[in-house]
This record gives sequence, C-alpha cells and structure tokens, in this order.
Amino acid sequence: MFPKPIEKSSRAWQLSYQALLPLAMLLWLAPLLAVALFSIRPDADFITGNYWGWPSSFEMIKNYSMVFTSAMPRYILNSFLITIPTVIGALTLSCMTGFALGIYKFRGNLLIFFMFIAGNFVPFQILMVPVRDLTLDMGLYNTKTGLVLFHIAFQTGFCTLFMRNFIKALPFELIEAARVEGIAEWRIFWYVVLPLMKPAIAALSVLIFTFIWNDYFWAIVLTQGENSQPVTAGITSFNAQYRAMYHLMSAGSIIAALPPVLMFFLMQKHFIAGLTLGAVK
Amino acid sequence: MQTTLKATIASLATAVVLASPASADLTGNLRINLDTSNPAPRATMEAMISRFQALNPELNITTNVIDREAYKTQIRNFLSADAPDVLTWYAANRMTPYVDAGLFEDVSDLWAEPAIAASLASTKGALTLNGKQWGVPYTYYQIGVYYRKDIYDELGLSEPKDFSEMLANCEAMLASGRKCYTIGTKWLWTAAAWFDYISMRTHGYDYQMSFARGDVKWTDPSVYETFENWGKLVRMGAFVDDHQNKDWQQSLPFVVNGEAGGILLGNFTVAPLRTAGLTDDQLDFHQFPAIKPGIAMAEAAPTDTFHIAANGQNKDNARAFLRYLVSPAEQTIINNGDNLGQIPINSASGVSDDKFVQQGFEMLSSNSPGGVAQFFDRDFPAEMAKAAMEGMQEFMLFPDNLDDILERIESVRQDLYQE
Repeated sequence: MFPKPIEKSSRAWQLSYQALLPLAMLLWLAPLLAVALFSIRPDADFITGNYWGWPSSFEMIKNYSMVFTSAMPRYILNSFLITIPTVIGALTLSCMTGFALGIYKFRGNLLIFFMFIAGNFVPFQILMVPVRDLTLDMGLYNTKTGLVLFHIAFQTGFCTLFMRNFIKALPFELIEAARVEGIAEWRIFWYVVLPLMKPAIAALSVLIFTFIWNDYFWAIVLTQGENSQPVTAGITSFNAQYRAMYHLMSAGSIIAALPPVLMFFLMQKHFIAGLTLGAVK
Repeated sequence: MQTTLKATIASLATAVVLASPASADLTGNLRINLDTSNPAPRATMEAMISRFQALNPELNITTNVIDREAYKTQIRNFLSADAPDVLTWYAANRMTPYVDAGLFEDVSDLWAEPAIAASLASTKGALTLNGKQWGVPYTYYQIGVYYRKDIYDELGLSEPKDFSEMLANCEAMLASGRKCYTIGTKWLWTAAAWFDYISMRTHGYDYQMSFARGDVKWTDPSVYETFENWGKLVRMGAFVDDHQNKDWQQSLPFVVNGEAGGILLGNFTVAPLRTAGLTDDQLDFHQFPAIKPGIAMAEAAPTDTFHIAANGQNKDNARAFLRYLVSPAEQTIINNGDNLGQIPINSASGVSDDKFVQQGFEMLSSNSPGGVAQFFDRDFPAEMAKAAMEGMQEFMLFPDNLDDILERIESVRQDLYQE
C-alpha cells in the first residue's frame, strides 16, 4: 500500500524525482510566495503590472510599520481575546463531559454522547440566523463574549467526542484501583484521569486554537467593527474606499498568520497527534 | 474672482446660520456608524466628528468604523438590531431596501430648511424616493474618460467632441499598435459605466431613469440602438483583451505602460495612476462625448450619503450632525485635496485645486444639463443590475450573442417588475 521508498528505485527515477520535487514545491508555494513578495513591494508595483518581477523598491519597513500603526494590533488582540478563552472553555467542559461519558455507565449515556456528536453533523451555516437572534436577545451581539460563548458551545461537541474516546481507551483498572482506595470521584478526575489526558489536551488545544483563530464566518455574523472583530475579519480594513491595497493586505496577512504558524511549529508533535487522535482506537 | 467672493460670503452667511443651532450645546448621546474604513477617509471623518464634538462638548459621541465591504452585509443587521443614530450609505436605489423596510428616517424636514434646499439642490433627486428625502449627501465624484494626453499628442489626436471623433481617435490608436481603452470586467460594474454613458448619450437622462424604473423592455429597439453604438467600439477591438479576467486595478497597467489610450471610470482612478508614476502632464480627463445631437448631456456621479436610522435613539442630535456636515465650511474641508479629494455637494463650498476635481466640478455644475445619475448599479435594482451587467460582460466578449443576452435580461426584468 505504501509507496516504495525512493532509495530502492532506479538512479534515473531518483534523479528525476529530485529535480521535480523542488519544482512541485515551488508551484505549490507560489501563491504564498506572491503574498510574501507583495508584502515588501511598493503600491506602484501592482498598478504598473509588476506582479512577479523584481520589486521596483523594497518597502518592507514601510508596509509593515503601516500594519502596526493601523487598527491591526487591535484586531490581533481581539483574536487572542477570543481564541484563548474559547480554547480554555471548550477544553474544560469537554474534559468533564468526556470523563462523565467515558467512565460512568448510566442509562442514556450513549444517547447523550450521540447528541454531542450530532452537533458536528449540522452544517454551521444553517445556524447563522438563529444564533444571531439568540446573541441579540441575550445582549451579546457585537461582543467578544458572545463570540466566545458560541465557539465554546460549538467546539465542545467536537472536543467531547475526542476526549470521551481518549478516556475510554485508558485502562479502567486505574479508576477501579482508586475507588478501592476510597478516593472521591472528583479527586479521581483531578489526580488520576487529568494527568493522563495531557497529550489529548495539548493536541486539542493546538487544533482548537487554529480553528478559532482562522474562523471568519462567525466573526462577520456576530461582530462588527474593530472593538470586537478578530483579525480574519479585520484584514480587509486596509482596503481603500475604491481599491484594494494588496501590499498592505499581504503584510497584514503574514502578521495575522504568524500566531497559528508559530503554534504549529512549537507544538508540531501534538498537532500531528491531534489529527490522528480518535481516528485510531 | 467675483464668484469666489460671493461663494465665500454665502458660505460665511450659511455657516453662521448653521452654527447657531449647533452652538446650542447638544447633550446626550450620538452614535455614528461609518463605512469609511480606509486610512484617509477615516481620518477625514474622525476629524470632522471631533470638530462637531468641540462645538458640543457635552455631547457623548461614539463612532464605530466598519470595513466598507463588511458594512454592506451588516447594515441591515445593525439597522434593525442595534441601530446607531447616524450612518453612511449610498444614494438612489441603494437606499430602497432600507427605506421600504422603514429603517431610514424621513429627513424631508431638513431639506425644507432654506440653507439646505438652496445649496444642495443638485443632489436632491438622488436622495429622493417616494417624494421624500431619506438622507443627505456628503461627497460625490465624476466619471469620465481618463486618457494619456502624451500619447494623444504624439498621434495628433484631441479630446473627441462627438462619437464619430471618438471612433476616429480609436482607429488612429489601433493603427499605432495600441488599444483604445482598458477595462477590467471581472467584477462586472466597469462595463456598466460604458453602458450607462452610451445609453444616456443615445437616449438621454430621462429615458435612462425610466429604464431604471423598469419601464423599458430590454428587447426594445432603443436598447438595441445603444448596444449597436457600443458594438462599434467592441467590434473594432477598442478594448484590451482578456478583460474578463482582470479587476479594474489590474487593468491599469495598460494605461501606465502606454498600451491603452485611456479608461472610462470614476475619479478614484487618478490616485493609483499617479502612484504608478504618471504626471498631470501625461494624464488628462474628458467628458464622454455626445453621440446623438440634441440629447442633453447627462452625467453619472455616484454620491455617498449620511442617513438617520429610524430606530435610533437621538434623532435631534442626529439632525444637528447632518446639518453640520453639509454646511459649506465643512464641505470645503472634507472634500479638499488633503482629505477626500472629491467634489463637495454644497454649491457654496470651495473646490479643491486638484486638476481633475476642478474639471469634474466644472463638468457637473455647468455641462450636465440633462441631469445627474448615480451609476448603473445604484440606479437599477440590485437583481436587475446583476443580470444586466453579466450580459454586458458577455456582450463585450461575444457581441454576436446580443439577441440571446437581451432576452435573458428581459426575462429577469419581467420577473422583477411584475406585481
């Protein structure tokens, strides 16, 4: 099933592989390279049609300092203020629900579990109008709190699925042993199960962080303006009244993409673990 | 000089009249939603608001700036859910959905005030729906042909006075190995500028307005006549190739690099062309020439506006703010070259000394007797405009499909206007 290792193929094939790989990568990265290149170009390059050539001048400092003197820092701060509470909230809740559904046997356990999963099957776009009305009635429209609460509610279902399966896979003897010792249930959760869940928590927090950071849909449905909108929605604020400022948007996009990229490189191991988590039982 | 002096006196007089209610020190709150999100207009608006604040230190003003594109999707939402007192929007048909939904406040009383009635007359039509006024304008700009004067001079061409000269210029341009006009129709609306002008020059302003109201069939011979005129340019290859893949900004390199003679667009085209290195000696402006003799020249000048939300809490403060922003003094400041760089809507205001703004002001105030339209996609209902603009793009690529195209657009019109 797996592809044959390249070392075992003929020399000619190896050579062509080595030649094609950088080419394919360059092609694959071309849009990203264009964004990076545009972020250091002057505005005039776009209007003179110089898209791929050598920049007519290097405006890296000017473009990036424009980004930092605009409303961008505010939007980035909003993104953090939305993403971090969501990650904490969703993980706290799902650790508890995962524990309850994974450890206790009670009637309706499976039903409740399915309800958590069912939430993931609902295409979130159809929730747009009811959720907007709900946040409005609760007085949370156009607030970061409203966005955070909704994200927590929606992400908890997904997290619960993973957490429950993870806890279910833990050796049940550990919990039985603790019970024999007469330890209170909440202490079992805190001292026995939670330490064992660290890998799952780490993996999920990376996943949820990137999900929420990259969310655009709910950001424009539930918030407006720079007081509450995250950076994904705020990036277009560089656009002039009549035209798009591609050099500034490129610089802004690169800044906005840094936190999830950093998160990915710092916690790469967990990220990959997170992608396969729950897939293998 | 005489007129400048008069204008100054008039502006001073109105400023005094207008300043008096404002200096009565408003109290309470005023919430303003702005779509002027990019740096320059934003600074202009914020400076204007702070001047208003200085006049009314007791007033508690909150300003919310929303990205211009996002604003278009959010406006209905915030007007019904979390209404500000004052908000920016566009004139003419773009107001219709909010007027019909009762979300905009009727401000006919403001327009009845002598200071406003006299000095804003030129844009009154654009703010009128169902016989009432629903907001005030704060800026507008001209549309016309921006062309490479140096290339025209090189080929011995001059600004066309009528359509046949326009076609002759184009022949010469093509013969020199250039295209006549650049255009990027990816987002469709740029094609509508050509349609708007050719239609208004072929049949006049009043025809175009009744067309916008749905009174003319798209399969009518008059529409064929418009497209026939346009087709002359399309068939001779006047426009750059592959324009359907470019937005208007991407179509500018042809003008900058001298591969196309000009572009038909709004005054906002000037700023990027200057950024790209064209000087005012190389770039010039002319009005879209007459096509049929006897048809009064009419222009399209998209107008940006302020409105009061019907669900707002502080309507008296909102009215005071609207009075303030249309005053000649404020209009002179916010539309000058350092700020919006566009044409003030108050006839008593001073005009920026920018070459293109001057030409636009002159054209709109003295050479547009037929009337001032907004723009195709602001005058026609959104659904109608979308279907029609798709057809226009197709026409520019495949002029032979005209019968098909017009029948398709006509079926949309029938769906839309049948009661």
